[in-house]
Amino acid sequence: MTTQDLITKIGLKPLSKFEHRDVEGVFVSDMLSDVMAGAKSGNLWLTIQTHKSIVPAANLVDVSAVIITSGKEVPQDTVDLASKYNIAILSSDLATFELVGKLYGLGLGAK
Amino acid sequence: MSECQHQWEMTNIQFGFVVFEKCFHCNELRTYFSVEDNPILGDKYREGDHFWSRAENAQSFRFDLKCTRCNHVEKFDDLMGLLHCTGCLPDCEVETLRKKYEAQKTWILVAFGFLPEAKTEPIPPHKLDMLTDYFNQRRDTSRSMIKIVSFNLIEDLSLCKGDFIHDVGMLSLEPPPGRKPLF
Ligand SMILES: [Zn+2]
Ligand SMILES: [Zn+2]
Repeated sequence: MTTQDLITKIGLKPLSKFEHRDVEGVFVSDMLSDVMAGAKSGNLWLTIQTHKSIVPAANLVDVSAVIITSGKEVPQDTVDLASKYNIAILSSDLATFELVGKLYGLGLGAK
Repeated sequence: MSECQHQWEMTNIQFGFVVFEKCFHCNELRTYFSVEDNPILGDKYREGDHFWSRAENAQSFRFDLKCTRCNHVEKFDDLMGLLHCTGCLPDCEVETLRKKYEAQKTWILVAFGFLPEAKTEPIPPHKLDMLTDYFNQRRDTSRSMIKIVSFNLIEDLSLCKGDFIHDVGMLSLEPPPGRKPLF
């Protein structure tokens, strides 16, 4: 599955400019330390954090996309920084819990 | 020297806080790791000639690296955190390196030791290389790479506007308006 497939299947809204890539697994956390310690390359990272620091954190651990849940508004400087580093920032109106259910349904939880 | 082509993983992960304190007498900055969960911002206390005031309190973590092949453990308790260079000082050596490496799709991060000790005893280059290797081993390096450099390269620390990858203000995080309860 790719970021492109997810956008179409779940109706995610792309906010930054990025190249599509393969998605492997999901990581849910609102703490950067947690992400730096535990997220894996290719993971989708689900969070409600929108401040600029999510971009270098996402970049450091090579997640395939950051999905901002609950329709939380993302500041423009976060989006601009993500575009610069080719990091996908996607937005969903669903709460994290509901989105996780959908992603699981698409087979992203089974490994 | 070891012949092993180390394959690193994080070990001894400990979550806590990086506390930033400033002396309002001499302006010295000091930082330390604490597992205490509620240091109070603005808290002031005297220690010898210094009058420390707590300026920032960021949720963070510390870890060591362990090689899964030879079991060598390298301690990183001297690493305060990683800073993302925002290109704020045009003459800064980090900014020069950033431009050079970014052209090769290699993203620079700046490793900080704890202050003030790290000013005289910075994290040694071989450990920064280990960190670089570790984060590259975790990623798809055909797309891009990571390079960790030392904060000693920063032209003027007091002017640097780089961003630490820390959770600042997490303790006052409010849920987004209109968010429904999960259950
Ligand atoms: Zn080894
Ligand atoms: Zn002082």
